[in-house]
Amino acid sequence: MELDLDESSLAIGRIERALSRIEKALTDRANRTPAAVAAPAADQSTLKAEVAAVIGELDLLIAEAKRG
Amino acid sequence: MADVKLTIAGRPYDVHCADGQEAQLIQLASVVDEKVRTMPGGTEVRQLLFAALMLADETQEARSKVEKAEPQSDSLRAAVALAESREAAARDELRDAVAREQAVLRELETVRQAAPAAAASANPSHDRALLQIADRIETLAAKVEQLP
Repeated sequence: MELDLDESSLAIGRIERALSRIEKALTDRANRTPAAVAAPAADQSTLKAEVAAVIGELDLLIAEAKRG
Repeated sequence: MADVKLTIAGRPYDVHCADGQEAQLIQLASVVDEKVRTMPGGTEVRQLLFAALMLADETQEARSKVEKAEPQSDSLRAAVALAESREAAARDELRDAVAREQAVLRELETVRQAAPAAAASANPSHDRALLQIADRIETLAAKVEQLP
Protein backbone atom coordinates (compact mmCIF):
# COMPACT_ATOMS: atom_id res chain seq x y z
CA MET A 1 0.00 0.00 0.00
CA GLU A 2 1.38 3.40 -0.94
CA LEU A 3 1.31 6.30 1.44
CA ASP A 4 -0.70 9.37 0.61
CA LEU A 5 0.28 12.87 1.66
CA ASP A 6 -1.44 12.62 5.04
CA GLU A 7 0.39 9.41 5.84
CA SER A 8 3.74 10.95 4.95
CA SER A 9 2.88 13.86 7.24
CA LEU A 10 2.12 11.28 9.89
CA ALA A 11 5.56 9.72 9.31
CA ILE A 12 7.22 13.11 9.68
CA GLY A 13 5.27 13.67 12.89
CA ARG A 14 6.49 10.32 14.21
CA ILE A 15 10.07 11.27 13.34
CA GLU A 16 9.71 14.60 15.14
CA ARG A 17 8.30 12.95 18.24
CA ALA A 18 11.06 10.33 18.25
CA LEU A 19 13.70 13.07 17.94
CA SER A 20 12.10 14.89 20.87
CA ARG A 21 12.27 11.67 22.90
CA ILE A 22 15.97 11.31 22.05
CA GLU A 23 16.64 14.92 23.00
CA LYS A 24 14.78 14.50 26.29
CA ALA A 25 16.64 11.28 27.08
CA LEU A 26 19.99 12.96 26.36
CA THR A 27 19.05 15.94 28.53
CA ASP A 28 17.98 13.63 31.36
CA ARG A 29 21.28 11.74 31.08
CA ALA A 30 23.22 15.01 31.13
CA ASN A 31 21.42 16.00 34.33
CA ARG A 32 22.23 12.75 36.07
CA THR A 33 25.52 11.99 37.84
CA PRO A 34 27.98 11.44 34.98
CA ALA A 35 29.97 8.61 36.59
CA ALA A 36 26.80 6.71 37.32
CA VAL A 37 25.42 6.93 33.78
CA ALA A 38 28.48 6.11 31.70
CA ALA A 39 27.29 3.77 28.96
CA PRO A 40 29.64 1.21 27.44
CA ALA A 41 31.66 2.74 24.61
CA ALA A 42 30.53 -0.02 22.23
CA ASP A 43 26.86 0.88 22.82
CA GLN A 44 27.57 4.53 22.16
CA SER A 45 29.51 3.77 18.97
CA THR A 46 26.68 1.57 17.70
CA LEU A 47 24.11 4.25 18.46
CA LYS A 48 26.19 6.94 16.78
CA ALA A 49 26.62 4.74 13.71
CA GLU A 50 22.86 4.12 13.57
CA VAL A 51 22.08 7.83 13.92
CA ALA A 52 24.63 8.65 11.21
CA ALA A 53 23.08 6.01 8.92
CA VAL A 54 19.56 7.39 9.38
CA ILE A 55 20.80 10.94 8.75
CA GLY A 56 22.49 9.73 5.58
CA GLU A 57 19.25 8.19 4.38
CA LEU A 58 17.29 11.34 5.13
CA ASP A 59 19.90 13.31 3.18
CA LEU A 60 19.47 10.97 0.23
CA LEU A 61 15.70 11.25 0.45
CA ILE A 62 15.90 15.05 0.39
CA ALA A 63 18.27 15.01 -2.57
CA GLU A 64 15.86 12.72 -4.45
CA ALA A 65 12.86 14.85 -3.47
CA LYS A 66 14.64 17.96 -4.76
CA ARG A 67 15.29 16.26 -8.06
CA GLY A 68 11.63 15.30 -8.19
CA MET B 1 34.74 28.94 76.93
CA ALA B 2 33.28 25.79 78.43
CA ASP B 3 34.48 23.92 81.49
CA VAL B 4 34.82 20.17 81.13
CA LYS B 5 35.67 17.61 83.73
CA LEU B 6 37.66 14.67 82.37
CA THR B 7 38.80 11.51 84.10
CA ILE B 8 41.88 9.77 82.75
CA ALA B 9 43.51 6.83 84.51
CA GLY B 10 41.27 7.47 87.47
CA ARG B 11 42.46 11.05 87.94
CA PRO B 12 40.05 13.97 87.36
CA TYR B 13 41.12 16.91 85.22
CA ASP B 14 39.36 20.27 84.85
CA VAL B 15 39.94 21.64 81.37
CA HIS B 16 38.47 24.35 79.18
CA CYS B 17 37.47 24.21 75.56
CA ALA B 18 35.59 26.28 73.01
CA ASP B 19 31.83 26.25 73.40
CA GLY B 20 30.28 23.36 71.51
CA GLN B 21 33.40 21.19 71.60
CA GLU B 22 32.72 19.59 74.98
CA ALA B 23 31.42 16.31 73.57
CA GLN B 24 34.41 15.99 71.23
CA LEU B 25 36.83 16.62 74.09
CA ILE B 26 35.12 14.06 76.32
CA GLN B 27 35.22 11.52 73.51
CA LEU B 28 38.96 12.12 72.95
CA ALA B 29 39.60 11.80 76.68
CA SER B 30 37.81 8.47 76.68
CA VAL B 31 40.14 7.27 73.89
CA VAL B 32 43.19 8.26 75.98
CA ASP B 33 41.67 6.75 79.12
CA GLU B 34 40.94 3.49 77.34
CA LYS B 35 44.51 3.36 76.04
CA VAL B 36 45.99 4.08 79.46
CA ARG B 37 43.98 1.27 80.99
CA THR B 38 45.51 -1.22 78.56
CA MET B 39 49.06 -0.28 79.60
CA PRO B 40 50.83 -2.63 82.01
CA GLY B 41 51.57 -1.47 85.57
CA GLY B 42 54.14 1.08 86.57
CA THR B 43 53.62 4.65 87.63
CA GLU B 44 50.74 6.73 86.38
CA VAL B 45 53.18 8.92 84.45
CA ARG B 46 54.70 5.85 82.81
CA GLN B 47 51.26 4.55 81.85
CA LEU B 48 50.41 7.93 80.34
CA LEU B 49 53.76 7.95 78.51
CA PHE B 50 53.15 4.54 76.95
CA ALA B 51 49.57 5.46 76.08
CA ALA B 52 50.85 8.60 74.33
CA LEU B 53 53.47 6.56 72.47
CA MET B 54 50.88 3.98 71.37
CA LEU B 55 48.51 6.69 70.18
CA ALA B 56 51.37 8.42 68.32
CA ASP B 57 52.23 5.09 66.67
CA GLU B 58 48.59 4.56 65.63
CA THR B 59 48.46 8.09 64.26
CA GLN B 60 51.62 7.54 62.24
CA GLU B 61 50.32 4.24 60.87
CA ALA B 62 47.01 5.80 59.89
CA ARG B 63 48.82 8.68 58.19
CA SER B 64 51.00 6.21 56.30
CA LYS B 65 47.91 4.31 55.09
CA VAL B 66 46.34 7.54 53.87
CA GLU B 67 49.52 8.47 51.99
CA LYS B 68 49.61 5.03 50.37
CA ALA B 69 45.96 5.28 49.38
CA GLU B 70 46.32 8.74 47.86
CA PRO B 71 47.93 7.64 44.57
CA GLN B 72 45.17 5.03 44.17
CA SER B 73 42.47 7.58 44.77
CA ASP B 74 44.25 9.92 42.33
CA SER B 75 44.14 7.17 39.71
CA LEU B 76 40.48 6.54 40.45
CA ARG B 77 39.70 10.23 40.20
CA ALA B 78 41.57 10.40 36.87
CA ALA B 79 39.66 7.36 35.58
CA VAL B 80 36.34 8.87 36.63
CA ALA B 81 37.28 12.19 35.01
CA LEU B 82 38.22 10.39 31.80
CA ALA B 83 34.97 8.41 31.81
CA GLU B 84 33.00 11.60 32.45
CA SER B 85 34.76 13.40 29.66
CA ARG B 86 34.16 10.52 27.20
CA GLU B 87 30.55 10.34 28.27
CA ALA B 88 30.13 14.08 27.73
CA ALA B 89 31.81 13.91 24.32
CA ALA B 90 29.59 10.99 23.24
CA ARG B 91 26.51 12.82 24.49
CA ASP B 92 27.52 15.95 22.56
CA GLU B 93 28.05 13.88 19.42
CA LEU B 94 24.61 12.30 19.78
CA ARG B 95 23.05 15.69 20.44
CA ASP B 96 24.75 17.13 17.35
CA ALA B 97 23.50 14.17 15.35
CA VAL B 98 19.94 14.75 16.57
CA ALA B 99 20.19 18.46 15.71
CA ARG B 100 21.47 17.55 12.26
CA GLU B 101 18.64 15.09 11.83
CA GLN B 102 16.09 17.73 12.82
CA ALA B 103 17.60 20.19 10.33
CA VAL B 104 17.41 17.55 7.62
CA LEU B 105 13.81 16.87 8.54
CA ARG B 106 12.90 20.55 8.32
CA GLU B 107 14.54 20.68 4.91
CA LEU B 108 12.55 17.63 3.86
CA GLU B 109 9.32 19.25 4.98
CA THR B 110 10.21 22.43 3.09
CA VAL B 111 10.84 20.45 -0.07
CA ARG B 112 7.63 18.49 0.40
CA GLN B 113 5.55 21.61 1.02
CA ALA B 114 7.08 23.29 -2.05
CA ALA B 115 5.74 20.52 -4.25
CA PRO B 116 3.07 18.69 -2.32
CA ALA B 117 1.40 17.12 -5.32
CA ALA B 118 4.63 15.76 -6.67
CA ALA B 119 5.65 14.42 -3.30
CA ALA B 120 2.34 12.75 -2.89
CA SER B 121 2.02 11.09 -6.18
CA ALA B 122 5.22 11.15 -8.18
CA ASN B 123 7.48 9.42 -5.67
CA PRO B 124 5.60 7.02 -3.47
CA SER B 125 8.92 5.32 -2.77
CA HIS B 126 9.93 8.48 -0.89
CA ASP B 127 6.94 8.07 1.39
CA ARG B 128 7.78 4.45 2.05
CA ALA B 129 11.38 5.45 2.81
CA LEU B 130 10.07 8.13 5.17
CA LEU B 131 7.95 5.58 6.98
CA GLN B 132 10.94 3.23 7.32
CA ILE B 133 13.06 6.07 8.64
CA ALA B 134 10.34 6.89 11.17
CA ASP B 135 10.43 3.25 12.33
CA ARG B 136 14.21 3.35 12.69
CA ILE B 137 14.30 6.66 14.55
CA GLU B 138 11.64 5.41 16.96
CA THR B 139 13.78 2.32 17.58
CA LEU B 140 16.79 4.59 18.15
CA ALA B 141 14.78 6.71 20.58
CA ALA B 142 13.87 3.59 22.55
CA LYS B 143 17.54 2.56 22.65
CA VAL B 144 18.68 6.01 23.81
CA GLU B 145 15.98 5.98 26.50
CA GLN B 146 17.18 2.58 27.69
CA LEU B 147 20.84 3.62 28.03
CA PRO B 148 22.00 3.07 31.60
